Amino acid sequence: MAEFVMNPADEVLLDPIRKTGAGFWFALAGLLTMVGFGAVAYLTQFVNGLGATGLHEPVSWGFYVTNFVFFIGISHAGTLISAILRLSKAEWRRPVTRMAEVITCMVLLVGGGQILIDLGRPDRLLNVIQYGRYQSPLLWDATSISAYLTASTVYLYLPMIPDIAILRDRTTKYNFLYRVLALGWRGTQKQQKILNRAITIMMVVVIPIAVSVHTVVSFVFSMTLQPMWHSTIFGPYFVVGAIFSGIGALIIAMLIFRKAYKLESYLKPIHFQYLGQLLLVMSLLWFYFTFAEYLTAYYGGEPEEMKVFFSKFTGDFRWEFWSMVGCNFIIPMACLTSLKKNPIPRVLTASIFIVIGMWLERFIIVVPTLSNPRLPFRLGSYMPTWVEWGEFTGSLGVFALFYLLFTKFFPVISIWEIHEGRHEGVEEVMHRVKSYLPDDAEHAPPPQQQPVAIAAKAVVP
Amino acid sequence: MSAQAAAAPPQDRLVTFFHYVIGCTPVLFIGGIIVWVAHLIRTSLRLHDVQSAAIGISLVAIPVFITLMSVLLYVLWGIIRAGREPS
Repeated sequence: MAEFVMNPADEVLLDPIRKTGAGFWFALAGLLTMVGFGAVAYLTQFVNGLGATGLHEPVSWGFYVTNFVFFIGISHAGTLISAILRLSKAEWRRPVTRMAEVITCMVLLVGGGQILIDLGRPDRLLNVIQYGRYQSPLLWDATSISAYLTASTVYLYLPMIPDIAILRDRTTKYNFLYRVLALGWRGTQKQQKILNRAITIMMVVVIPIAVSVHTVVSFVFSMTLQPMWHSTIFGPYFVVGAIFSGIGALIIAMLIFRKAYKLESYLKPIHFQYLGQLLLVMSLLWFYFTFAEYLTAYYGGEPEEMKVFFSKFTGDFRWEFWSMVGCNFIIPMACLTSLKKNPIPRVLTASIFIVIGMWLERFIIVVPTLSNPRLPFRLGSYMPTWVEWGEFTGSLGVFALFYLLFTKFFPVISIWEIHEGRHEGVEEVMHRVKSYLPDDAEHAPPPQQQPVAIAAKAVVP
Repeated sequence: MSAQAAAAPPQDRLVTFFHYVIGCTPVLFIGGIIVWVAHLIRTSLRLHDVQSAAIGISLVAIPVFITLMSVLLYVLWGIIRAGREPS
């Protein structure tokens, strides 16, 4: 049995579970208020029907579908980024991965719930279960999101098992829960081998699943013949946007918990510098895809598409459109191009604007097309009511509340991975870097002089 | 139940019981999703309603869920059983 000796410095990671300060109760009260507002809004809609919202023909999708795409996009922060960092053996991932994985699980639940809200009558979900038709991309969504939620939950839980065992052995609080969830973990070689193998399989499996999820979300739009939805690049465009907004949300969550739980020695400026660089790359990619999307529509010049195009550029949705461009490209460019000195405020500013900008992007995709339909309906306008704002606020509250409660039960940074990094990571990285480099003169195999000599002889007349 | 498990205090036996419940969760949850997908194929065949889509999508979805279930069963039961072996 391997004895786990915890570094005393890492005790700070258990503090949020052991102690509950006034800040937690204030945060809880604030989030419960948001959730309560959302619940009142939902009850109003439940009693009065979807007529209580701003949804009507032809704009039958508004805030809820925007939120659905937005939240599912945010979910890419977690499992996908974590899997890529693990797979590429990026050592700076260790304090980041857990926070990222938690975002995915929490936000997927909230994102999936948006469709339930959008149904108006939740009992209609039973029709999907009983009579679902695979001709509908919405059902493809349900299937792929189920796969992603399952994979993400597994991918979150597996690396948590050794940490839960630490909690089981070191805390008296919730001990029964930890004993159950630790699955009898003793850190034996056999258990380590099984766990490492499973994590390796999962990090390979989860990447294509994550990419497929947002591609399938884009199919909900691109499989129709609606103007500016019927696009072949919607799949990668949505995935890029999802990773972009996901990294933004991850940075905000990391900075909140860094401050609240005093994790400055774990989440260092270098982590934010690296994430900021990733954000910069994603901002450029997002801009390229947006440019390509609008260029192809403009070049085609189809009248129905041009109506939607100009409604975004100069028409009713110009404020949302240009705010989106500012939030997703101009401000990130200004903030992220130089991150060497004091990166945290710049990265935080960029992240906040990116999350807002990506919500606007989802709105800009959903609503203008429905307001300018291809079929000869009258033109529509959409103005969300307090019910939709309330449910949006409530959804954000539910997400943050779940996240907060998670941190009261489990460490938000992986203790065993930090331990592994301290004791094995440094040596492993040195060994790995050496293995990448060409052999130096001291360790190089002897030069093959004989064949060269033979070759030299061959050319001498 | 082994003699060792039978002699364990009641709370330990409850913990063991929950370990087995967690071990069975993948079969119940992911198995449930697979059964649901199979039900949708059966419905589409019965109603002659876009069978190609139902079969095509399911051909991708079901192996993914089976892979997830296999990994989960391997890791959960592997850890539980290894934890019960004498050190």
